[in-house]
Amino acid sequence: MSIAAENLAGDQPDLRSKGHVADVSRFVRNLAAGLLVLGIVVTGGFLFTPYDPITPDFLDRLAGPSAEHWFGTDQLGRDVATRILYGGLWSIGLALLITTFGALVGVIVGLAAGHFGRLADMSLMRVTDSFFAFPELIAAVTIAGVLGPSTTNMVLALILVSWMKFARLVRSLAISLAHRDFVVQARLNGLPSWLILWRHILPNIGPSLLVLWTNAWSRSILSISGLSFLGFGVQPPHAEWGAMLLDGKSYMQTAPHVMIFPGLAILLAVLSINLIGDRLRDLIAGPNGLFSD
Amino acid sequence: MLNVKDLQLHLDGAVILDKLSFRLESGKTLCVIGESGSGKTSLLRSLQGLAPARFEELCFEPRSGSPVRYRAGWKGRPGLPGSRWVMQDPIAALSPRQKLGVSIAESLHGRNIARQDMNKAVVDALQDVDLPAHFASRRPSEVSMGQAQRACLARALIARPDLIFFDEPLSALDAIVQKQVALTMSRIQRRYGISYVIVTHDLGFAAAYADWVLVLRRGRVEASQAASNFFNAPDSAYCKELIEAAEALGELDTRTSADVGRAEATA
Amino acid sequence: MKTSKSGHHLFVGLAGRLGALACVLFGVSLITFTITFFAPGDKAAAIAHARYPDTQSFAPEILEGIRQEFALNEPFFTQYYLWLSRFLSGDFGNSFASNVPVWEIFVSNAAETLTLTLTALVLGLICAFFLSAIAVWRPGSLADRFAVALASIGAAMPNYWLGLLLILFFAAHLNWLPAYGTGTPAHLVLPAITLAFWVTASQTRLLRSFMLEAKAAPYVETLRLRGVSEREIFFRHVLRHACVPALTMIGLDVASLLEGTVIVELTFARGGLGSLLAGSILTRDYPMILFLVLFSALVYVILNTLIEVVQDLLDPRKTFLGRHRAASSGGERP
Repeated sequence: MSIAAENLAGDQPDLRSKGHVADVSRFVRNLAAGLLVLGIVVTGGFLFTPYDPITPDFLDRLAGPSAEHWFGTDQLGRDVATRILYGGLWSIGLALLITTFGALVGVIVGLAAGHFGRLADMSLMRVTDSFFAFPELIAAVTIAGVLGPSTTNMVLALILVSWMKFARLVRSLAISLAHRDFVVQARLNGLPSWLILWRHILPNIGPSLLVLWTNAWSRSILSISGLSFLGFGVQPPHAEWGAMLLDGKSYMQTAPHVMIFPGLAILLAVLSINLIGDRLRDLIAGPNGLFSD
Repeated sequence: MLNVKDLQLHLDGAVILDKLSFRLESGKTLCVIGESGSGKTSLLRSLQGLAPARFEELCFEPRSGSPVRYRAGWKGRPGLPGSRWVMQDPIAALSPRQKLGVSIAESLHGRNIARQDMNKAVVDALQDVDLPAHFASRRPSEVSMGQAQRACLARALIARPDLIFFDEPLSALDAIVQKQVALTMSRIQRRYGISYVIVTHDLGFAAAYADWVLVLRRGRVEASQAASNFFNAPDSAYCKELIEAAEALGELDTRTSADVGRAEATA
Repeated sequence: MKTSKSGHHLFVGLAGRLGALACVLFGVSLITFTITFFAPGDKAAAIAHARYPDTQSFAPEILEGIRQEFALNEPFFTQYYLWLSRFLSGDFGNSFASNVPVWEIFVSNAAETLTLTLTALVLGLICAFFLSAIAVWRPGSLADRFAVALASIGAAMPNYWLGLLLILFFAAHLNWLPAYGTGTPAHLVLPAITLAFWVTASQTRLLRSFMLEAKAAPYVETLRLRGVSEREIFFRHVLRHACVPALTMIGLDVASLLEGTVIVELTFARGGLGSLLAGSILTRDYPMILFLVLFSALVYVILNTLIEVVQDLLDPRKTFLGRHRAASSGGERP
């Protein structure tokens, strides 16, 4: 009875936020579908091309775009289109791997700093600041170069220079959440620290983390290609986009297509991931966002 | 059952609460009244061990369970066992990504209750606060302020506490919803014999529900009186001024309607 | 009373920052040294090769002598301590490759990098300023959409690729400008444009949003109601108020600017600190690497600290909020 009265009194739940949840879930479904297509293209695409990305074909070197070779062939006669599809696996996939590992390290450090008292916070944040003090790519070039140019060392280097922003975000969110009423309630109800972190802190950090993760992912693609272009990343004959650019650089005057198409691939991949990130941020932090309270 | 002697709270050299003493009998309601900044919320935080208060004695004797008796300062982790705290902003007090039922059940954490019994307890608690059972699967963003405050009340109630602290439980709600939630609070108190400590700045509400009134001003006790005495013959000039101000605003008129409500609830 | 309190506040904030800065610089030196310490390969051999480039193999006694000389047999912390104490006293060591003091090599290369970075920064800022002003003049117009698109593309553009495209078009195809190398001002044009494109894109994004915000501010609305012309509002209020936050934001991207410079230098085969770093890594010239990486971190950290201080000084809200929070923590809700 009193419920009916309450509703009559205009004490209605905020329907806008309900519609918003639908909005978000629709977007997440679109995103998943888009990523699936992207995944199929980059992982499966090269399986369906008649060419091999690595085996040279010296009879057909540096040929321009044609019906057979859509993006032409490179200095060893390999099909550039095939190599770009294959290279997407390196560029996008490795970037995903690096970003996810970086996020994992960052979340652990950030949660520990934000939740286990002043001493842990101070020491962990000084360490984070120290790592943060290096310009990302310069540090990555140095680490990868000094350890010796290889894919493994590049991945290691990029994880080492990319976890800090996650740690900082997670820490600041964890600290601000720790004083929120619902976390205080959980503490008073006697929940242990780890359960509070797991049930109350982590789920509420998730959306912001996702936005940062998307940004870091696209940035990571640029870093991988940059390192490979400088010769410190993925090594020939593998078809990473940056490494392909490095190849194409030498034949720029006679066969510009070898250099143009891999660059275009990087641009498009980074651009689309950035756009996804922007849209996610609007959904989560925009004026009507989930966290606009 | 709750006895506080000489409670003091100093933060960064500032005196927030000074020499507070009061006691509360079982099943009664204590209203803590004061303007904003007078230390009402700090008092609640101190009583939960969330603020580093010093006191001569803090004694809490629940009807069941072992009594708590602290001298000098708080010991152990925050939270007075056998008590619960209902906060001012119900939406903020509920975990945004958790279903209400889960939030409510969390109040029973550590009691080793079977899942089925837990579900039944949640449904019962929702029923006690006039919410249908399906609200257990809603999230805070899908309910109104009044419904959220009822859920918070259910979360406190499910633990069968002997004492519930309320921090301005109605100030986030519309007038009509305020009245309805107040009625629910009062009915629950009668049914389960729970003591209430209610922080409020609404004198009308205090007039309707309080057994004892504690007026705070700048962290000091301005008056500590039985409710009936307080409204007829306040202890200090400041209290008199407070009552007159409330009367001028018409706040104390709600006393009559609330009395009607009280009669309704008992009937 | 009030001013002395805020002055005190500022001093404490500054002291805290300097303390944190010292901690960070210590951490930075430790990390950098650790990387080079655990690098694979025989450092003594690298030094020997640098000293006697004509010799192919070295007697063990010579290598052992070098290890003694550079204390390479000592444990990690001893080596770190020796290196750090020498570094702090201003002795940055000699390059393995040329046996010339690292500092001298650094100085002779710094001008190139500084010229490129500053030219690109100024060029990019001017472009960004005009572009965002035109964009905000009529939000949603063609110019605005162009600015937004440019900002998105600029953020996703690999600058080494842009550099190659510019070389392809302006140097190889049109033959207007030299592609690679250093020397004449003409050599500076393409690298500067490459780097400036990124600056333009990132700063347009920021400036545009700041200007839009300033345009919608309540006091601008009041001016509008009072009948002040749109033109006057734009030039006298919007531009001015958007510049302050934007100017301090530039610093936050110092890291990206430094990275961009390194890559652009290598793309265009220019001299400069970026090429020096890459070269040193390839020749395993550890004193040079240590110095350059530490230097980049130092520039980055100091600039960021400076910018934070400037932001505190410029933004009245920030200090107000800080004080407000301090006051409330002593009040109801600690």
